Amino acid sequence: MMDTAGRNLRSPGRTPWQREAAGFVLGLAVLALMPFVFADSYSRHILIMAFIYAIVASNWDLSLGYGGVFNFGHLALFGIGVYAYALLTKLAGLDPWLALAASGVVATLAAVLVTIPILRLKGIYIILVTFGFAQLVMQVIISQSEITGGTQGIVRIPGLYLFDHNMVRDGKIGYFGIALALLAASTIFLRVLVRSRTGASIVALRDNEEYAISRGVSLVRQRLITLAASAFFTGVAGAFYAAYQRNASIDVFGMSLATIVLSMVLLGGTGTIYGAIIASFVLTIFAEAMADFGAWRPMITAVLIIVVMLVYPSGLVGMIQAAWAGLTGRLKRPA
Amino acid sequence: MGALAEILFGGLFQGSLYAMMAVGLALVWTTIGVFNFSHGVFMMLGAYLAWQLVETGLHPAAAFPLAVLATAAVGWLLQATVVRPLIGRANLVLVVVITTLAAGSLIENGVLTIWGPRSKQLPPLVDGNTMIGSIGVSLHQIAIIVVTPLILGALWMFLTRTRLGLALRAVAQNEDASQLVGLNVTALYGLAFAIAAALACLAGIFMGGYRFMSPVMGADPLLKALIVVVFGGISSISGPIFAAYLIGFFEAACSYYFGLYWTPALLFAVLILTLMVRPEGIFSSRSRGLA
Repeated sequence: MMDTAGRNLRSPGRTPWQREAAGFVLGLAVLALMPFVFADSYSRHILIMAFIYAIVASNWDLSLGYGGVFNFGHLALFGIGVYAYALLTKLAGLDPWLALAASGVVATLAAVLVTIPILRLKGIYIILVTFGFAQLVMQVIISQSEITGGTQGIVRIPGLYLFDHNMVRDGKIGYFGIALALLAASTIFLRVLVRSRTGASIVALRDNEEYAISRGVSLVRQRLITLAASAFFTGVAGAFYAAYQRNASIDVFGMSLATIVLSMVLLGGTGTIYGAIIASFVLTIFAEAMADFGAWRPMITAVLIIVVMLVYPSGLVGMIQAAWAGLTGRLKRPA
Repeated sequence: MGALAEILFGGLFQGSLYAMMAVGLALVWTTIGVFNFSHGVFMMLGAYLAWQLVETGLHPAAAFPLAVLATAAVGWLLQATVVRPLIGRANLVLVVVITTLAAGSLIENGVLTIWGPRSKQLPPLVDGNTMIGSIGVSLHQIAIIVVTPLILGALWMFLTRTRLGLALRAVAQNEDASQLVGLNVTALYGLAFAIAAALACLAGIFMGGYRFMSPVMGADPLLKALIVVVFGGISSISGPIFAAYLIGFFEAACSYYFGLYWTPALLFAVLILTLMVRPEGIFSSRSRGLA
């Protein structure tokens, strides 16, 4: 069910969980078979990047779509994960796997920190504070160039390892497996959260703040939970990105990456989790298909984003739902 | 003495640029209630258009006003294509942020494709250099410091003394009532965007006269303008003007005492602190209006 604004008003947990779990396992199986269909390492690289974007975008959907918090600093949490992993492994010499988890914790702490100033704020002011937060993090990283490499970034970051498996010469199958496992863990975490009572109260706060508070939902606590929960896997994704690319740069704080991931969230349809994931696959593959277009690629992407925002505000999931409803002959309830 | 003069001059100069940018942002916010994230791109586009016109042989005195008009037209067009169709959406603020960002990326890459990445420079408003006390300054900078208050004063007169300006302020105060008394709200939206784009173009021409131009030149002034409107209050015109100069002085003092690296971090700390203590801005009353 959609309102005129295209927000998904379906209460969380309307689909029976058994059916959702079956769909989830099926989707996971299809994705797991991908590297055997596309055996070259370039295709696998695209898929790995799509998985990373999918984690970041779907976690953003938790705070943006479900929480209704206009959090514009989400990519900063990703960047914090990148730099936390780079510094922990390179300077502190921590084990890569421990650093991966620790980066998630660091991003979560950062999210709690940024939630404090936005507790009293609404709408555009939240955009400005979180945007300011992202810029602040970037400026601090640039100014501490003797540790962070400043605008040069950090290179030769230690990668992940799997026992005696050679991750460098396996056609990226190892990283593919880890990325897919991370995406699966993140998605289960998000879906369980949004189907829970906590998830319901987060949505209640979004839809009618006064009423939810009068029924005993704590705005402060739920907002902290929302942002902290959306931060953990975002930070882990950042750490994984650093381990996979083996370098860190301040580009992750730039507007262009934020715009692309935000359009994944909005293109997919907010408040669905799966929408953001599907849109991440679509946009990543689409962007790669146009890799030879040079400066035309961001222009075509920009036009695509605008057109979708204007024409189909409920996003891809809205389209799929409408098509499904039409297919099964189910009548949509009149708005 | 030298330090103080440098900070004062730097503050006045930077403050002028920020004021030109911030007033445009605030104008669009007060009338339409959206934040235009392509505002920095207007500035860049204006500078490039001016450069192209000067390059074709036009005298700057003719080229600059033409560029301002052209950028205003682009501002209107942007409003008509990616903002106006969205009015009435429940998540308007968010969707306009993404559409203006996308439109900005479109224009930025378009400029890159047309004019290439090689740096360009505009002729200064006034040629030559002079000394004020112990510091050397260019006449171009002095011209900016003098011209900006005149332009903003003219805008102020327009908003408070003309029927069209009053209509704009009426829309800012109460859209429904304005529509009821027969104001063409849609056209006024376009006007607000066009004026904002024109001001950004002027800022771009100012900047292009003393620094090399690049397709990303608008990003930093946009960020500073964001800080300014938050600091001074998003929903007024006078607030951002005062705030622009205050932030200009603050920035000049910070870079003098703490160095260039720490200045942006300190500025953003001010932004976050302001929002925590007084989210409506330090010069703003709690009501939304255009004055």
